[in-house]
Amino acid sequence: MATRLTTAARRGIARPKVAHRARRAGREALTSAIPLLLPALAIYALFSLLPIFLTFWLSFTDSRGLNTSASFVGLSNYGRAAADPIVWQSLVHTFQWLLGHLLMAGGLGLILALAVSRLRLTRVVFRTAFFLPHLVSLAVVGVIWANIYDPFYGLLNTALDRLGLGALSQGWLSDPLLVLFSVNVASSWQGFGLYMLLFIAGLQNIDHSLYEAAEIDGANGWQQLWYVTLPGLAEVMTFVVSLAMINGLKGFATVFVMTNGGPFYQSELITTYIYRLAFSMQDHGLAAVLCVLLSTLAIGITVVFNHWRGRLAR
Amino acid sequence: MLRRTLLASAAAVLATAGLASGAQAQTLVMWGPEQITEPLIAELWNGLKADFEAANPGVTVEFMPPTGTISNGAVQSAIQSNAGPDVILTNSGIARVTTVVDAKLVAPLTAAYAERGWDKQIYPWLYAELQRQRGGEIYEVPDGLDALGVWYHKDMFAANGWTMPATYAEFLDLLGKIKDKGIMPIAIGPRTAGSAGHLFGNMLQSASGSEAVGKAVSGELSWTDPSMVGGAVRLRELVDKGYIDKEMAALDLDGAARLWFNKRAALFVAGPWFTANARKAEYDLANAGYAPMPSDLGPGKPTGGVGWSWLVPANSKQPELAMKWIDFILSDAVMKKRAENAASTMIYPRALDGVNPPTAILGDIFAAAAAGVGYNPSVYLPASVVDTYFQVIQGIISAQISGEDAMAQIEAKMAEVK
Amino acid sequence: MSRRRSELPAFAALLPALLLILGPFLWLLMSSLKSEAEIGQANPFALPKAPMWQNYADAWQIGGFGDLLVNSLFNLAGVVLLTLITCAPAGYVFAKLKFPGREWVFYLVIIGLTIPVQAIVIPLYQVLFNLGLINSLAGITLAQVSNGIPFGIFLMRSFFAGVPDELVEAARIDGASHTQILGRVMLPLATPALQALVIISALSTWNDFFLPLVILISPEVQTLPLGLVRFASTYSTDFRLVFSGTVITFLPVIILYILTQRRFTEGLTQGALKG
Repeated sequence: MATRLTTAARRGIARPKVAHRARRAGREALTSAIPLLLPALAIYALFSLLPIFLTFWLSFTDSRGLNTSASFVGLSNYGRAAADPIVWQSLVHTFQWLLGHLLMAGGLGLILALAVSRLRLTRVVFRTAFFLPHLVSLAVVGVIWANIYDPFYGLLNTALDRLGLGALSQGWLSDPLLVLFSVNVASSWQGFGLYMLLFIAGLQNIDHSLYEAAEIDGANGWQQLWYVTLPGLAEVMTFVVSLAMINGLKGFATVFVMTNGGPFYQSELITTYIYRLAFSMQDHGLAAVLCVLLSTLAIGITVVFNHWRGRLAR
Repeated sequence: MLRRTLLASAAAVLATAGLASGAQAQTLVMWGPEQITEPLIAELWNGLKADFEAANPGVTVEFMPPTGTISNGAVQSAIQSNAGPDVILTNSGIARVTTVVDAKLVAPLTAAYAERGWDKQIYPWLYAELQRQRGGEIYEVPDGLDALGVWYHKDMFAANGWTMPATYAEFLDLLGKIKDKGIMPIAIGPRTAGSAGHLFGNMLQSASGSEAVGKAVSGELSWTDPSMVGGAVRLRELVDKGYIDKEMAALDLDGAARLWFNKRAALFVAGPWFTANARKAEYDLANAGYAPMPSDLGPGKPTGGVGWSWLVPANSKQPELAMKWIDFILSDAVMKKRAENAASTMIYPRALDGVNPPTAILGDIFAAAAAGVGYNPSVYLPASVVDTYFQVIQGIISAQISGEDAMAQIEAKMAEVK
Repeated sequence: MSRRRSELPAFAALLPALLLILGPFLWLLMSSLKSEAEIGQANPFALPKAPMWQNYADAWQIGGFGDLLVNSLFNLAGVVLLTLITCAPAGYVFAKLKFPGREWVFYLVIIGLTIPVQAIVIPLYQVLFNLGLINSLAGITLAQVSNGIPFGIFLMRSFFAGVPDELVEAARIDGASHTQILGRVMLPLATPALQALVIISALSTWNDFFLPLVILISPEVQTLPLGLVRFASTYSTDFRLVFSGTVITFLPVIILYILTQRRFTEGLTQGALKG
């Protein structure tokens, strides 16, 4: 309290020269900030920012890989990207993937968080167990789920057969309409745990008295969920949504392991196409264009979302 | 006790130091072979290593387990890193070798062929092919060839009175009979890119002949030419007739091979390396039969090409030793030892007399390939085309595109390269 | 009200979900005890005829997991340490110091959060190569730290932003420098967030497959996930070893998580949500 008074007093005295003082304070802050920021920024600039800028430069060249001479070709790679139907297809898939990840991983996280929060005795057990898939690396997730989805010997189709639901068995990874969804389920299995933990924490922060008040007003369970719980989760929700969108956009490993974009490009994401362009086809120029596209998308989504979130908060 | 240990270790240090300062001590770092840590393979290669070290005092051979191939960039980054290998054994083929040649990562071996007589130690047709590929300059020494054909179960065929036919019409007829028995006629795992190409290459050669396929992969004949599209159209027919299950589009080679080893499927297109898969699955290799894909154009032959090659990195620290190693590999003793070893899974780059292959089926494959092998387009097509090539095969098998469409897409990519 | 009701209905509803979600683990454990031929016969519900514990010994031996484990531990320790040293001060600066251009520097950092490493791996390789850091644990560690810095800074900034400004101002009036404030006031407060950062960076390093595949070439510098590659060749895979090797790789992580899960949850949520 005393501190607050002192600062207020100081501010009051300083008011006539406020602009000048602010500038000086800013400079002072900068001098203290530099040594604290330097370790992080030095590493980050060298191993992340520099490669990002080099990629940008590559997108204007005809580079075909290591040690080959690359010359400046202007916007021709951008023209090729625009004319390549697979680029457009993979762009659509990337948005479908992102949305699927948001709904499946985010949704499952929310539902399980709501259910787990109702537990007392066994809460920790369930919370811990549900988080386990998140500990598995995505490459391993791909190997496990490719075996689960095997049309002839897989866990899923075999289980359906045994349950007498053989009619439901599918070519989970061969059907053009199913494949992206199937891989996304595997990816969401790995991803939902983190979102669930965040939602559980958000639920703990909701004021209990709100529920009591709602009870007195005669609200049933659904109404409590709708009018108390979900609004109370708004802040966590925005955090989870932004995290899930970024993770969705970065989706790569499960598709790479399970289908490598196939069959016939039906599960191609921008990231998997970049990888094959660079490593199989040695077309580094076009790959770089797609990197630029992906980065632009990521930044665009983040900015738009933050803007929307800011307006919502107001 | 402690003192004795100290003395012993001091002696050991001195001995090592003495050895290290000797001009003789050299290490040859070798990239490969795949699965070098597997006991059967390790036993063979540790034996070769010991022989080579005995013949070259002071030399130590060190194996590096590969993390991948040229196709996924592993070989390139291994060469680039200066800790990289001195000699490399890896999956080859003209497209892959072109990638590392263009990146100036491997040394030309043309002079060594002449000086060391390697030109006489591989099949003449193979040497001619290598000379043709890059205007006379050669960068690889073939270690093994692939010979892709149709594998079948002898007991299943005998029980049903089936035989491998001579013509394609009879082949179709056979597939129908197999399907009527409730057995899947052909298993294929196109998610393993190479495997997709094995069946497709067989189909193309069966329909158009190896000469046409050879011209098509080198760009002299259009893929949409009526004389070329037959194989692709036939593959789509096999899918439409249910001889190839659409759901196989999602399988990889292991998944498809399972169907064959468990006899749920009757036929599988593969090369001599399939013996390794069979061994792991505990499939009785005496029951395996092998025949080229039937063709109306005359007696069939396997498709294939150079499957594995030796490369010498441009920055090899031991180029002279690498040459000696290749001499050693090409020697009669080593060739014979490898060809008779249980870990043997390929065709050797020259005719070997008096060799007893470890399994009968390898003998059959050696015989089928003795007159040369046709083209497996996967290893001949340029890198930028081959990805499209694999994708359209998946497109046909999942019944998304027609044979004509598939060939048109390959041709469009070929046109970009030209 | 709902909170006082019996937990039975929720428990009953969650049990099948638990089975479904942990099912893949059971399948993996079971498969890891089968022989290669049994895996090839591929009846996913069949129990192993005789549990092949040998698979684990073979995976350890053939994959050379002993050396890989040591490398993985060094790699992990390096990444965790550097991440803490870099992200905690930077997060503090972005949360509490107002200097010209702060927003722009922060956006530059956030860009990294959105770009998958696959997209920039080729130039990254060139940078590492020119610094002589290819095929070295130092190189992979720096690349992974850099890759994790955006999230680390984001997490620490969120946490520090939730600490009242008055604490900083009071210390300033007492004449403390920002470095002192960070060391004496902020870091002790931030223990839960630091724990979360440790666990997240440790987890992503332990499981990282892609960067080691590109950067670590010699067997003597490789990390655990690359051991699994040794069980596969172009045309055939030893699944019994892949499965048992996978279990070996993630067993330590699971045990560590179960032991620290309470602190982890605390740190993660305080770090992320108090911002």
